Amino acid sequence: MRVSMWFLVLLLVFGFNDRSFAHQRPRTERISGSAGDVLEDDPVGRLKVYVYELPSKYNKKLLQKDPRCLTYMFAAEIFIHRFLLSSAVRTLNPDEADWFYTPIYTTCDLTPTGMPLPFKSPRMMRSAIQLISTNWPYWNRTEGADHFFVVPHDFGACFHYQEEKAIKRGILPLLQRATLVQTFGQRNHVCLNEGSITIPPYAPPQKMQARQIPPETPRSIFVYFRGLFYDVNNDPEGGYYARGARAAVWENFKNNPLFDISTEHPTTYYEDMQRAIFCLCPLGWAPWSPRLVEAVVFGCIPVIIADDIVLPFADAIPWEQIGVFVAEEDVPNLDMILTSIPTEEILRKQRLLANPSMKRAMLFPQPAQSGDAFHQILNGLARKLPHDEKIFLKPGEKVLNWTAGPVGDLKPW
Amino acid sequence: MKLSALQQSYMNRRSTSFRGSAPLDSSSEGAIKSPAAIFWLLLHGVCCLISLVLGFRFSRLVFLFLFSTSTSNLYGPPFRQLTSTVDLANPLNVPSNPVVNTELPALNKTLSSRVVVGRHGIRIRPWPHPNPAEVMRAHQIIERVQREQRNQFGVKSPRTVIAVTPTYVRTFQMLHLTGVMHSLMLVPYDVVWIVVEAGGVSNETASIIAKSGVKTIHVGLNQRMPNSWERRHKLEAKMRLHALRIVREQKLDGIVMFADDSNMHSMDLFDEIQNVKWFGAVSIGILAHSGGADESSSATVEDVEKRSSMPIQGPACNASNKLAGWHTFNSLPYEGKAAIYIDDRATVLPQKLEWAGFVVNSRLLWKESEDKPDWMKDLDSVDEDIESPLSLLTDTSMVEPLGSCGRQVLLWWLRVEARSDSKFPPGWIIDPPLEITVPSKRTPWPDVPPELPATEKAVISIPEHTVKHAKTRSSRSKRRSKRKHEAKVVDTQVSARHSEQN
Amino acid sequence: MGSLERSKKKVQLWKKAVVHFALCFVMGFFTGFAPTGKASIFSSQIISSNKSYFSPQPIEVLHSAVTPPAQDPKNDSLAAETPMQIPAESERAKFLEEVEEREAKLNPRRLIIIITPMSSKDAYEGVFLRRLANTIRLVPPPLLWIVVEGQTESDEVSEILRKTGIMYRHFVSKENFTDPQAELDHQRNVALRHIEQHRLSGIVHFAGLSNTYDLAFFDELREIEVFGTWPMALLTANKNKVIIEGPVCDSSQVIGWHLKKINNQTDSTPPIHISSFGFNSSILWDPERWGRPSSVPQTSQNSIKFVKQVALEDETKLKGIPPEECSKIMLWQLKFPIENSSSDSLSNTAVDSNQR
Repeated sequence: MRVSMWFLVLLLVFGFNDRSFAHQRPRTERISGSAGDVLEDDPVGRLKVYVYELPSKYNKKLLQKDPRCLTYMFAAEIFIHRFLLSSAVRTLNPDEADWFYTPIYTTCDLTPTGMPLPFKSPRMMRSAIQLISTNWPYWNRTEGADHFFVVPHDFGACFHYQEEKAIKRGILPLLQRATLVQTFGQRNHVCLNEGSITIPPYAPPQKMQARQIPPETPRSIFVYFRGLFYDVNNDPEGGYYARGARAAVWENFKNNPLFDISTEHPTTYYEDMQRAIFCLCPLGWAPWSPRLVEAVVFGCIPVIIADDIVLPFADAIPWEQIGVFVAEEDVPNLDMILTSIPTEEILRKQRLLANPSMKRAMLFPQPAQSGDAFHQILNGLARKLPHDEKIFLKPGEKVLNWTAGPVGDLKPW
Repeated sequence: MKLSALQQSYMNRRSTSFRGSAPLDSSSEGAIKSPAAIFWLLLHGVCCLISLVLGFRFSRLVFLFLFSTSTSNLYGPPFRQLTSTVDLANPLNVPSNPVVNTELPALNKTLSSRVVVGRHGIRIRPWPHPNPAEVMRAHQIIERVQREQRNQFGVKSPRTVIAVTPTYVRTFQMLHLTGVMHSLMLVPYDVVWIVVEAGGVSNETASIIAKSGVKTIHVGLNQRMPNSWERRHKLEAKMRLHALRIVREQKLDGIVMFADDSNMHSMDLFDEIQNVKWFGAVSIGILAHSGGADESSSATVEDVEKRSSMPIQGPACNASNKLAGWHTFNSLPYEGKAAIYIDDRATVLPQKLEWAGFVVNSRLLWKESEDKPDWMKDLDSVDEDIESPLSLLTDTSMVEPLGSCGRQVLLWWLRVEARSDSKFPPGWIIDPPLEITVPSKRTPWPDVPPELPATEKAVISIPEHTVKHAKTRSSRSKRRSKRKHEAKVVDTQVSARHSEQN
Repeated sequence: MGSLERSKKKVQLWKKAVVHFALCFVMGFFTGFAPTGKASIFSSQIISSNKSYFSPQPIEVLHSAVTPPAQDPKNDSLAAETPMQIPAESERAKFLEEVEEREAKLNPRRLIIIITPMSSKDAYEGVFLRRLANTIRLVPPPLLWIVVEGQTESDEVSEILRKTGIMYRHFVSKENFTDPQAELDHQRNVALRHIEQHRLSGIVHFAGLSNTYDLAFFDELREIEVFGTWPMALLTANKNKVIIEGPVCDSSQVIGWHLKKINNQTDSTPPIHISSFGFNSSILWDPERWGRPSSVPQTSQNSIKFVKQVALEDETKLKGIPPEECSKIMLWQLKFPIENSSSDSLSNTAVDSNQR
């Protein structure tokens, strides 16, 4: 008896210890049930979303000003809006809504070269929230806890393109209680709130569909990558960009004929991915890149090199089973890691990737299809229901500090 | 409290069993040790282990507190730094590499993210080149993946491909036959290759096809290849019929195709012909060449037109994808210019319909087989002089057009030969050795400006022209021994040789 | 035994046990400092030596950490997994693969880099590319095929290459040329620059579209250390003479060349054929290894020229293949009139006029 008690004490110590170290491994929480089933879930009937009517200067006008916003990798914010407007989960009666959506295109502000720089986004967001909180009672009821916002920028609602600055800023104070739908996903990062929904970046679905090649086309590339290794303009010293991981890929494997890697983007990029076995998905400035989507859609096993990445819909897509995770540190051993994967396992990953439900979940098609990324977002929102009673504030109670944040953000938009 | 009590009792037991001496190695005490004693001994060991683990965990905790610099890996910064210092110290570690190998972990305590934000080292491993064993392993993976793709998406339960190739020994045989052979070697299905040789079975042909590794049936026909194209076509038809009789006699089961040694194949063809039920036709692209008639006139308007669209021979379909007729080669522009004899420097024309454009289910050729259609003539009753396999049929409307109804060209025809009196070294072995026209020291590399350093030219030019290969054996062997000696030197003293040469 | 003695002994035992535990604790404490876990194992490996790099164990550790056990129930239901089919495959193919696998384990082979430039003027290039691809596909790996094409609107070449299953790199050179020869030269340089930039290590060979090979040729190619050269046969339609050009060897030592004069007017020697030699690619990017100053500004230079310079300087490194007196022809090049413009041979177009 007493012996077992002793053991129990030890176990407790152990267990505690273990938990503190558990974050080291890329682990995704899975809800019960099989992943495939989760992907097939139908959100209709399980939640109701109310879409705020905002003046078009928050959305449509921005798009009119720069139509490029429709095709770049942050376009999800626009397509989600369009999708929700015609979706079966939309309700026109805000009183019966489970979730409130504010259609605002915060990243649709591109430099002439197409770089999205979210300098105005905080002010714009603030202005929109001010608007909905004065015109409707629902914001003040929970101070945004039953609202969701789509913030697809590099570092989500931190609204800065440089990670260090983004971290310093933190998530916009007004959005602290809201559910954020964002592409940025990194464990234990200030720009990722618990409860956020990580989504894939936008990749043009029609274009990808049109460039499909027959599945019997022999896969003759072992490892494929196209993109930057060094970002000389923004990171002249090297080592900041991609935390040095991409540079390490180049320096270690440029001379390996098995590694078809280059900075030049060929016209056959999509086709080449379809005849590659492994596609490198290293982090860039942010841990995610459109390659994740492209790899899954084109059946190329994604080799994810981004420590502590939170992958899109990780609760529904079995990323560990379809992809290969390589720690940033281990990049010099990439060839060894990939060649020592048993062939049977590679074939299994390929079969899983061939699963159409996986591909669907990564895309934002027009019109929407069941099981696509829109539906996965709704599924994610539905799984958070019902709301905890605690989110509803007592009359007059205030949690959010409207004057927090950099002075620049407090200026009117 | 409980713990101490536990320990107490444990100790009591222990003291009784251990009796002051080392317990484990003494056999005399084995009798004394009760099972309980052994249990306590084990427990002691387990506790030791546990404290070991605890110590281990504790050290990590200490580590965490000491170096909790928001890194993803607890050991990241210190060890990475170590790497960099070693890299710098060790000259083996890619010394010429321009990329900085240093590590500057940003010790920003305010960050809550555990991945270091800031500058990271670019990790470069000291061994620069791919490991050959891994390269081979990767290729095995690729091979396996491709095989799996074929299994999944390729033709299910494929039939044997029976390729019929008429050939004869000539200068261009190696060139043509090798091309066809390589295509057949790549076919992922079983292949039977029937090679019919005019002028009888020769070693020359046998040695070529032996390299294929496919199942071959090599038969000869006691008739030499005639000199006129017309008669050639006739003899070739006879040779093909001969092969078909072999198929019939040996009851070979599969799809018969006519792979002439002047054909070039797309590998898709071999998949496509698997679709044939009885008798199929595919389109052939005709590579008509001027035969070297007039090289100056080869760029005529007519020629340019030809280039823009390759003539095609094969089945023609109507709008509803039914066989409507045949695309035949239009020989009108070549009227009077076409080659009649093999030596003519003029365009060699294909037949109206080349045999290569047809595939036949071999069961159609068998004497008796189930559900064999009645529109096929018996092979024995067929005239030897037939022009195309269509003559084997009584009803040509039964032909199945393959390759998207003939729109897809999957094989090409190119008839090019040397003059009939052309000679080539038997087996392509050069014997006797070639004559030296340029001595080795003046190797004319392509594109190199001919003016070599003037001094060298002056010195060497005189002895050069006397170096003829028709030297006696003795001088040659002398040379050889000298060369061999030199070769050894090369290995060890490259630089020395260098100076010796210039 | 007195109770005092007894308790003394008890204390001693206590001490002993505590010392044991403490020792173990300290041991554990220090092992905790040693690098553990996948990542650190690797980093220490990198530090220590490259020998450990061949050891497969750490990778397995990592791997098991990365991929969950196969019996995970989730994946079974995730399904739509196509059931494994291992059907109908020709026995020959299976046999060849087995042989291949066995061989591969035994001896890793050297990389062959084949460069094929394609003229944009040649309407039949697709046909010949397919034929060449069929041959190259049969060469055991590792092989890299670099195909450089002129600018065209069609993606025929991409499509052909894609279906071959060969490991290849396809480049499209954007410059326009009027002279097909200059175009091909430019394309070869594009390929060489790729090799140089990536520091690919292997034996480089220029394979024209109209080349035909004996497969044994590629085995010989792999044997080249620095430079290799071989005789080749140039076959022309409707001619009675076979032109054989190339090195004349004593054993594998090149003692001279058998080349035909271009014509009578000039007495400059005809160059050796671009397809009749192969060289170690490290010459391009590691000149120091070959006893040359590294100061040569490489990238801006004509790469072929550079290779030739190296070759010229030290011809003793030139090896004739096959090693038996270079007497076997394993490479044939077809020249026929259609192809006039695209022929790889640099100067042989006029040979015939002399011969007949």
